[in-house]
Amino acid sequence: MIPGILSILIFAVSLGLILSEKVHRTIVAIVGAVVAVGVGKILNFYSEAEALKAIDFNTLGLLLGMMMIVAMLEPTGFFQYLAVSAGRLSRGNPVWLFMLLGALTSVVSMFLDNVTTVVLIAPVTVLITEILGVSAIPFLLGEAILSNVGGVATLVGDPPNVLIGSAAGLSFNDFLTHALPLVAVVWLVALWLLRYLFRAELDAPPANLEAVMKMNPTEALEDWKTARRVLIILGAAVALFFVQEPLRLTPALIALGAAAAALAWTRPNMHELFKRIEWSVLMFFAGLFVMVGGLEAAGVMHALAGLVAQAQGMPMVLFGVIVLWVVALASAVVDNVPITIALIPVIQGLGAAGVEAAPLWWALAFGAGFGGNGTIIGATANVVVASLSERMSTPITSALWNKRGLPTMLATCVVTTILYVLFFPLFRG
Amino acid sequence: MKISDIMKRDVVSVTASATIGQAVDLFVARRIGTLPVVDEANRLVGMLLLSDVLELVMPDFVRMIEDLDFVHDFGAVETQKPSQAILARSTAAVMKKPVSVEETAGLLRAVAMLRQHNLRDLPIVADDGRLVGIASRVDVGAALLVSWGISRSSNTTATGGT
Repeated sequence: MIPGILSILIFAVSLGLILSEKVHRTIVAIVGAVVAVGVGKILNFYSEAEALKAIDFNTLGLLLGMMMIVAMLEPTGFFQYLAVSAGRLSRGNPVWLFMLLGALTSVVSMFLDNVTTVVLIAPVTVLITEILGVSAIPFLLGEAILSNVGGVATLVGDPPNVLIGSAAGLSFNDFLTHALPLVAVVWLVALWLLRYLFRAELDAPPANLEAVMKMNPTEALEDWKTARRVLIILGAAVALFFVQEPLRLTPALIALGAAAAALAWTRPNMHELFKRIEWSVLMFFAGLFVMVGGLEAAGVMHALAGLVAQAQGMPMVLFGVIVLWVVALASAVVDNVPITIALIPVIQGLGAAGVEAAPLWWALAFGAGFGGNGTIIGATANVVVASLSERMSTPITSALWNKRGLPTMLATCVVTTILYVLFFPLFRG
Repeated sequence: MKISDIMKRDVVSVTASATIGQAVDLFVARRIGTLPVVDEANRLVGMLLLSDVLELVMPDFVRMIEDLDFVHDFGAVETQKPSQAILARSTAAVMKKPVSVEETAGLLRAVAMLRQHNLRDLPIVADDGRLVGIASRVDVGAALLVSWGISRSSNTTATGGT
């Protein structure tokens, strides 16, 4: 009982501090993890060995591998090349530009995490909108939302999917057959709705069309030799993801293997490369894993799963929809990573208690992925575009996000719910 | 040689209450790149750089994109001008913290200060903080080169603008 209460207290205080943003979330995670292990050792319910085992190295390996590949690709200017090409293709028409940059963002975020995608595409977006003489806000806000939506489609698209895939044993192909078709529909809905909500801005005629056509994408591509090599390896890694199951490869091995191959082939400056790796994100994950491991060791997750399992008899489809909406609403106000890490053992516990877990994993993935679009702090990609816009003459405010992002989040969740219910048998398999 | 031997003593300066618009006039009329900001006792309290004023019309993407070679036309932002409201703000809102040396400072020390703070001009102050002169990177650098004794010219006094 006491271990359980103390573990819950440690987790709750940490979550509160992460939410308040008074202390950097990685500091909270590291301190919380150490306190959890310390308390566990004193009360003899959680040891260092168990704490290490609680860290999901498959998740960390996959994230680190992908981060290294991006860190090699980013300085080559390849993403700049893609965004500038999209700008030229639009011929300066804001609506076309919005759709092309949105599509580019979504496709890129299917393979890279959402924050990285936004960090890569947003600067060129500001460039194109400024020389066009149109507001950057619809584009930046739209890119954050569409990258969050696109990320739901694949195993490697965003951190919650990586976590869920690893915990539930879902493969890259499982995401392609279950999440991708649903995301395709949701994406169209989000794009159409954003275009409608921003109609005033997007229908305003641009002041200067010619300047966009004078940009030269090939000049934006600084180092094609390196870009080509990393892209070949990235392509090979994606191919391996497809045959991951029959070959019995973990996603972490594929990602780290690809990173190793790219490192050996391009031999970048490691000091520069490591500066681009988000070590604080990896440490944040590790800390959260250790804290949740403490909750598990104290028997909290088991008790919680037992409580939820009381609701047996409730139709599975309703149970799934409830999970989807609870997670979505929570993800709109809290970072979706701690929510996902905390709910994984609960769903595992439910599975062990005989409840059908498969549809709940998908509900968790969709809720965590689409829920973050609701507020300016709901997802890291939102925070990134908002802070980028703070330096501009018209920054993205929380109020504006509530007017544009929140309806989009609600619409995508409603559409997801409809598809989830209609095709429920698919999500059981 | 000391900095006081080569500095310009006729310094164009403004007070912190002067507007940015007034500073713009001085930059144009006197063709200078640095305006020392002084208080009523002529003590140095800040510096207004031409580059800081130009920053007012710099598009956001310039700060976000490392290599701008591929952007051949700045389009709509090319003709951007600061608003009247911005020009009416006081220099105090834009000025930098002052960097200066004392009159007895050596030339190499002055060059090092310019280099370290990435400045074009270096104000020179008396012991009580009063502004007494200014020397540009070229003034100080050329004077230092002369001290090497390999140049046939020996014109060490600053004559031109900065």
